[in-house]
Amino acid sequence: MGKTITLDGITKEFGSIVAVNDVSLTIPKNEFVTLVGPSGSGKTTLLRVISGLETPTSGRITIGDKDVTDETPQDRPLSMVFQNIALYPHMSCRENINYGLKIHGVPTDERNERAEEAARSLQIADQLDKNPSELSGGQQQRVALGRAFVEDPEILLLDEPMSDLDAKLKEELRVEFQRLHRELDATFVYVTHDQNEAMTMSDKIAVMRSGSVEQFDTPETIFHDPVSEHVATFIGTPSTNVLDCEVDGDVARTESAAIQLPETASNEDRVRVGIRPQYLSVGGGEIAFDVAIDVIEPLGIDYVVHTTTVEGDKEVNVVTEEVSDLEPGDTITVGVSLENIYLFTADGQRIRAPTARQTEV
Amino acid sequence: MGVVKESQSRISDGVEKNQLIVIALLAPLATFFGVLWFVPLGYSIWSSFFSNPLGASEFVGLSNYVTIITSNDFLYFLWNSVLFAVSTTLLCLLVGLFFALVVNRVIVGGSVLRTLMVFPYLLPTVVVVFLWQFLLDQNLGLVNRLLLDLGLISAPIAFFGDVSLAMPSIVAASVWKWGSFAFFILLANLQAIPQEYFERAKVQGASQWQQFRDITFPHLRGAILLILLVRGVWMFNKFDVIWLTTRGGPAGVTTTLPIRVYDLAIRLGRFGQGTALAVIMFLLLSMVGVVYFTVLNPEEEVAG
Amino acid sequence: MFERVLGGPGGLIPNAVQKRVWNVALYVIALLVVIFVLTPLYLMIVVAVQSPETLFSGGQLTLIPPKLSLDNFRTLIEQTPTVSYFVNSVIITGSSVFLSTALAVISGYSLTRFDLTGKSIIARIVLFSYMISPIVLAIPLYVIFFRLGLLNQYISAILAVTAISAPFSIWLMWQYFQNIPIAYEESAWTRGASRWRAARDIVLPLARPGYISVAIFAFAVAWNDYTMVRIVLNDQALYPLTVGSELIFQEVFVGWGEQMSMMLIMSFPPFLVAAFLQNYLLQGFNLGHG
Repeated sequence: MGKTITLDGITKEFGSIVAVNDVSLTIPKNEFVTLVGPSGSGKTTLLRVISGLETPTSGRITIGDKDVTDETPQDRPLSMVFQNIALYPHMSCRENINYGLKIHGVPTDERNERAEEAARSLQIADQLDKNPSELSGGQQQRVALGRAFVEDPEILLLDEPMSDLDAKLKEELRVEFQRLHRELDATFVYVTHDQNEAMTMSDKIAVMRSGSVEQFDTPETIFHDPVSEHVATFIGTPSTNVLDCEVDGDVARTESAAIQLPETASNEDRVRVGIRPQYLSVGGGEIAFDVAIDVIEPLGIDYVVHTTTVEGDKEVNVVTEEVSDLEPGDTITVGVSLENIYLFTADGQRIRAPTARQTEV
Repeated sequence: MGVVKESQSRISDGVEKNQLIVIALLAPLATFFGVLWFVPLGYSIWSSFFSNPLGASEFVGLSNYVTIITSNDFLYFLWNSVLFAVSTTLLCLLVGLFFALVVNRVIVGGSVLRTLMVFPYLLPTVVVVFLWQFLLDQNLGLVNRLLLDLGLISAPIAFFGDVSLAMPSIVAASVWKWGSFAFFILLANLQAIPQEYFERAKVQGASQWQQFRDITFPHLRGAILLILLVRGVWMFNKFDVIWLTTRGGPAGVTTTLPIRVYDLAIRLGRFGQGTALAVIMFLLLSMVGVVYFTVLNPEEEVAG
Repeated sequence: MFERVLGGPGGLIPNAVQKRVWNVALYVIALLVVIFVLTPLYLMIVVAVQSPETLFSGGQLTLIPPKLSLDNFRTLIEQTPTVSYFVNSVIITGSSVFLSTALAVISGYSLTRFDLTGKSIIARIVLFSYMISPIVLAIPLYVIFFRLGLLNQYISAILAVTAISAPFSIWLMWQYFQNIPIAYEESAWTRGASRWRAARDIVLPLARPGYISVAIFAFAVAWNDYTMVRIVLNDQALYPLTVGSELIFQEVFVGWGEQMSMMLIMSFPPFLVAAFLQNYLLQGFNLGHG
């Protein structure tokens, strides 16, 4: 029941600031797509362009098969959940939920019925007649969701709806959002700076930086096969370790390790290597080097071992379950297999060996 | 929830697709200022360059301005204006400050006192003037009766008719009415000072005076500055209080620039000179305005 | 400075003494406040409600009247144009309040919702006009209205008074609308509400405390105005109470008692406003520094 959103060459400038730079993207219908990136990456602006609250400087937007670039937000078949929640303080929760229906002339009884249904589904049925100010942050967010639920839109846009909430609430609401997605059967476009949210909830993720989409793929692909250093370091916690390498012929040297470079890297004279903490193992590997342990952080079953490399004095994090022999101050050898590293050019582009996995974008 | 300054939260066009709506909604503002401010003020400035602008007018350039500035009364009237403005404002500030400090601490009856302080501000100036004229009346006024009974004077004083007492009397009436304004602003600022500051100071051994000097006063500085400038200007411009009590007399002792403008333009019919003086007043205050803006930057509060 | 004398630990005047002095001073000043404020008010009431006989019996002002009477009011109402002046005050003030408030709300909304170049210039103009003496505006307005033949119409008084109250009202509402996030309207727009609908259902209710404060301010300016009306109106029949009372007081039969009654009548509506709307009044003070 949801619609496909097609963005074609969208650019948005505010005076001399280019917030969104020539973005072309197709958001498939009924999918949960997240736009993720640091502040200033243009993700919120892109969302607002989709909603119609901003007009693109150039480019077209199509919803379904209809070009909506020139249409007002009122006329687009979408609903939006805002960052600061934006529940009207002078209306009760029920009225807040109802408001969209009221605009469209739905009679009072039906409005109330639908509001109650939504409230039950989101477990806020007792709060319906209270004022938003009497509710906790999490409850307010559920009311905001209730609004979206009741309007049964074809597209739901969400602008960092959880940024003001604490970690526990975020966990609970993550589940709610996904449930809502299934029940509403709509296209969800979700904006966040929290890559954790992006990874856990989405069908597809668009990683953004400085106004452009760096990679648009499923979470798994983004995690295992990042297209750039930025994507590799932005996605995944703790973030990917990156080490500078010196190129010597067809070998890249870093720390005490030597990496065979594929032909595709032959033109580069400086290369960076990315290694996910989860792929480093204690004891050694194909590519190995020594590190000194600074801090060991328990996460429950896993541990994050914060270390500094012996040669280059770089911070390297390792995720492992086995820390029984390790103490801060120890020097150990860590290693990773060749197929689990990422090679980047000096300006962050991923260098792929011809035999590396390729995915459809 | 949601107290967000536009410029902080996101960059937004604010573009309304329908330009007509924008124009329609801003038109009243433009029309209002255009018709009721720019046109009359422009006309004033224009008239000031003519002699007899309402009748057989004749262009005289800056001669009206010269006449006014070089007249021997000008500096005297300017001095009266400054004197009135400064003394009224300072006294208002002191009265407001003391009363605010008191009301802030008095627990029982504090809100009654606060309500009481609203009354003077509410009364029309005409009423305040009349009440004070009655209080200070030569024959029937309570003040004279009190002073006579206490033996401080031997004959009743005509306060508003006395050359040296007229101005102070007007100042007294003005402070009575407008002191409450300073009071409310200072009280609001006082109540906004977190109690923790005082608690910490007490624990560290600070005396009453030190607490006032180091905590209370710095917090009030902004408000005090605001009151001084805004009310100072407002008092400089005051017409009705003085006009209603003394008409600028006796012997010009309470004539301030606004009174003089009225005298020139309406009573003496020298419209060109009257408007020239009005322009001079405007220029003097513009200079104050510039100081105000550079020091306080108030437009940041709205457009920033 | 003053550390040696007034400092806390080791100062000449110990803290306990300072505190005692301060507490005493507190109550003395509180008493002074009461006397200071109440005396003229008490006078006003006590004189107004005495009949002419009791007022000055014994050659001096009677401060505690033996009996109360409404004679003064009766004289005013029956023998002078007081009632029609009162009506004039109501007309001029009511219209001005409406105009000023409407202008402030529309302007405040537009200035915060639309992107305009020169907003800071507009801000300065608004503030500047607050600093111009009413007399400076009244005199050319007089000439303009004279040329337009409006000197004997309500409209000139209404416009003149609104000119004075509007700049600060606009300033107040501008600040107030700054604190109503646009996100509220955007939320409504994405749900299908037109700009007008969103403004009516969401923005206006939220702006209510603001425009009530503005209305009160405009009321105070208009009801109390003497300067503008005195200059800009020629027709005595249109005079509001502030100006008309001067004329009434020239009548021989109008003595102190009647005059005080007039003062009470003039003070009555402002008192009503204070009684019912005090909270909004103080909010206005806090927000805009008056």
